[in-house]
Amino acid sequence: MSTQGTHIPDWLKVPFAGITPGPSQEKGQDLFPTGNWRAIRPVYRDKLPPCNNACGTNEKIQGYLDLVKRGKYLDAYALIKEDMPFPSVTGRVCYHPCEQACNRGQYDEAISIRAVERFLGDLGQALNRDVVKAGKPNGKKVAVIGSGPAGHSAAYQLARLGYKVTILERSPKAGGLNRGGIPDWVLPQAVLDREIERLVELGIEIKTNVEVGKDITLDDLKKNYDATVFCVGLTESNSARAEGEDKPGVIFGLPFLRDIGMGTSKVKVGSRVAVIGGGNTAIDCAREALRQGAVEVTMITVEAHPQEMPASPEDLHDMLEEGVELMHGRAMTAVLGNGKVESLQLYPARFTGKINASPIAIDKEGAGEKFAVDTVIIAVGQKAKLDWMPAEYKTERGTIKIDSFGRIANTNFFAAGDVVQLGGGQPLMVVNAVGDGKRVAFNLDKVLNNVPLEPRTVPIDVIVDLNRMNMTYFPHFPRVKQAMLAPAARKSTQQEVILAYTEEQATTEAARCFSCGTCNACDNCYLVCPEPCIVRSVRSNGLYKILVDYCKGCRVCIEECPTGCLEGVPELDFDTGVVRMDTAFAISQGLHGRQAEELRAVPDRPAKSI
Amino acid sequence: MATLVAGKKKTVRINGCVASAQAAKYADVDVITAYPIRPYTATMMALAQMVANGELDAEYIVADSEHSQLSIAHGASSSGARVFTGSSGVGVQYGYELYSPISGSRMPVQMMIADRTLDPPGDFGSEHTDALSTRDMGWLMGWSCDAQEAFDNHLIAYRIGEDPRVLLPQMVCQDGFFVSHITCDVELPDQGQVNEFLPPYKHPYPLDPRHPVSHGPQIMPEQGPPLQLERARAMEGSMAVIEEAHEEFAKIFGRRYDPWIEEFMTDDADVVFFLQGAHGVTARYAIKHMRERGAKVGLVRLRTIRPYPTDRVNEVLSKFKVVGVIETNMGLGSVSSGGSLYAEVCGALYESQKRPLVVSFMAGMGGEAIVLKEFYWMTQKMLEAQKRGSIAKRTHWVGFEE
Repeated sequence: MSTQGTHIPDWLKVPFAGITPGPSQEKGQDLFPTGNWRAIRPVYRDKLPPCNNACGTNEKIQGYLDLVKRGKYLDAYALIKEDMPFPSVTGRVCYHPCEQACNRGQYDEAISIRAVERFLGDLGQALNRDVVKAGKPNGKKVAVIGSGPAGHSAAYQLARLGYKVTILERSPKAGGLNRGGIPDWVLPQAVLDREIERLVELGIEIKTNVEVGKDITLDDLKKNYDATVFCVGLTESNSARAEGEDKPGVIFGLPFLRDIGMGTSKVKVGSRVAVIGGGNTAIDCAREALRQGAVEVTMITVEAHPQEMPASPEDLHDMLEEGVELMHGRAMTAVLGNGKVESLQLYPARFTGKINASPIAIDKEGAGEKFAVDTVIIAVGQKAKLDWMPAEYKTERGTIKIDSFGRIANTNFFAAGDVVQLGGGQPLMVVNAVGDGKRVAFNLDKVLNNVPLEPRTVPIDVIVDLNRMNMTYFPHFPRVKQAMLAPAARKSTQQEVILAYTEEQATTEAARCFSCGTCNACDNCYLVCPEPCIVRSVRSNGLYKILVDYCKGCRVCIEECPTGCLEGVPELDFDTGVVRMDTAFAISQGLHGRQAEELRAVPDRPAKSI
Repeated sequence: MATLVAGKKKTVRINGCVASAQAAKYADVDVITAYPIRPYTATMMALAQMVANGELDAEYIVADSEHSQLSIAHGASSSGARVFTGSSGVGVQYGYELYSPISGSRMPVQMMIADRTLDPPGDFGSEHTDALSTRDMGWLMGWSCDAQEAFDNHLIAYRIGEDPRVLLPQMVCQDGFFVSHITCDVELPDQGQVNEFLPPYKHPYPLDPRHPVSHGPQIMPEQGPPLQLERARAMEGSMAVIEEAHEEFAKIFGRRYDPWIEEFMTDDADVVFFLQGAHGVTARYAIKHMRERGAKVGLVRLRTIRPYPTDRVNEVLSKFKVVGVIETNMGLGSVSSGGSLYAEVCGALYESQKRPLVVSFMAGMGGEAIVLKEFYWMTQKMLEAQKRGSIAKRTHWVGFEE
């Protein structure tokens, strides 16, 4: 009997016929670990979706779209509120750089992110109590000067961090640009009022009719507050440098909108209105003029084509739909008329260099023309009013001088928003001001807690290449369009032009999201693993685990990951969870172990932070 | 599954194929997997009729090849079913991949073999090479020499293979045509007898979604040897179970078989034939005639070749002067340059103190009958060797030599 006297040592005891618990069962992997076959390890490594990256305040857009898709609206609202104090506002007014960056735009149509944000913002507005709570009071006081987007954002984040925040606002009503720069038919006053109430609910004190430099000095701020954030915005209109701008009937864009917004407007526009400028404010002015009774509105721009205008294409489209005419390649050199506006002197003009960022050349030898109008609205940009600010805190371009953390000359003064961003290369947008306010709030917190401010050194992996995802999983599906008021109906009303998504529309649209580079718990890896050695606890973002003792590195999960969040990382990059190949297939014993030793000598790379 | 029509004890005149089918029916098999090839096809035809007539409640699966047929049998057995399958000739070879996995996963699949010569060229006749080529794959294996023995062997093999101490697949072989297609009286038992002899099959770890297990996982190289050792232990350990089963069979059915070896007229024999299967029947007849002429010749018929009863073969054959191995199989370039049985015999005899002369006969090849004249000729060769004290050559090609 050949088997007589044989014995199997304990460490080699195997179960009957190699029959083991299922690999998905507890202990199921223990008996026959095949992880040592693996050269490539699948790793869930979330990339930054381009929308999150493009957003001025880095909203976790992929995250809240995913939650909306799953019907978890309140969670989605809470997530958006981490970075954005007023999604109901940006859900209406934002120029959505996220949508321009959306990878889906390369595929069919970008996700209508702003519409979903508005859906969530309106949901938040309807809550009796907001989900956001003030932080545990830390006993420190901060003054925020200005209640526009940047000030609102800074105050909000500081309150969440536990600061006692006081907002000082020059105007009789809080809101800043949100109130004074955005027409009612884009952002109804009531929506903004509700968001300001939310600030008060957080324990923030808002003092209106307080102007810095007049009612309160820098020394007062230094004395009464641990720190101050200046978010004073751009309150003064640029001149068009034309003769006769002081005539009655010449209106500047920002005060025009602001007075209507504040309810203090005494302006009456004539039947023929010209708007000078080609930006978003000019568009708002032109459309507002129609609502104020103008019959013919013409927009006069130096830009030679609509495509060159530094304006949102959608708003431009909506404006043209409402009947505004465009006149390109002209500059206004004089407002003509006897005690009132009668006509404008126009000449051919062009930018001498980069569109909208270089001096304008006016060809006065060329074919000049007189353009008959009753009212002219000049909307060619804004500037800050900083006469109260010491010269050393100001830049030559008329903004507040800050370091890369928003801090003024190593003081406890900080600044954020348009008043620092003007001319910085980024378009001036509500969302950028919000992001600036947020970042400055967190930097301020570090300074007051003596935490060193350090620039981010690790590059962020933004996924913009569709080849890094598996597009076979995404059927083409058109964008869900937001309903709009009919153009003819818009002129006589201050009603919102763009209408809100229904719940079904919001979830349908959110479900179009590719979830670029980010695990959205689609279960695909779990399903395709042939072993299976992927386990999940809860079907929620990123809660899968690779059983590395068992995974053979076949790459199926990596190839079949729709979002591209699974990556194959060479096994030698790891020194934990490694099933070394010493026993089975190494050329010589301990080969991989030795290589891992060498790799350990390489200095650790810092972890990715966002 | 309950058998719909319980068998009653009776004697019927049926051939080997139908006897096998009857045995499967009495064993109340759960799953039958079939793919046709002569001559075993008749078994599957009979079973198909039984299932169609409602006599047997079983899943009858026609596969698209023997490979699939055995794969399905493997899977069905893994889920805890009693499985019956079968094949012949090249069909046996086509399913070859599955033999080791089935025994390695310790699934007691039963396979009926009606031997057929392997190609080339196409030959329907019986030759044992088809099944013998799988002899070391971990299957219990033995030959029947008539339809009654075939019927009995199927029941006995299920009992052995499904014994929790064994859990190995079984090949129950019969010669094509000589057994499979020749009718003889077969006593079919009462179903109650079979139920008493053959308890329901119960694998300890069947595939069951309610209690998930992994069958056949990948293993580390060092985990192979202990599993092989376990399989070897099961094969060797089956010997005691085999003897127990035959004893129990005799008690219940009244037919007693030596589990390993049938001896015929060997008491005072000097020379004996050693063979497997159907030619044993002709051999008995021939031996009776030769005995009348004074030749002290006998027959040793091997009934179980896996596990191989080495000690028993040694003990039995050591009594004689000359052993003539009738191969009925091809072992090209083997020890004897004839068949593979010679090596099995010589291996068993090597340690014998009284080693007989061993000579190999290539007879019954390609399904040819071994006629009486050839038995006389082979006996003559053995007697000459006995007289001479040595063999003339290791292997004789019977019918091709003077």
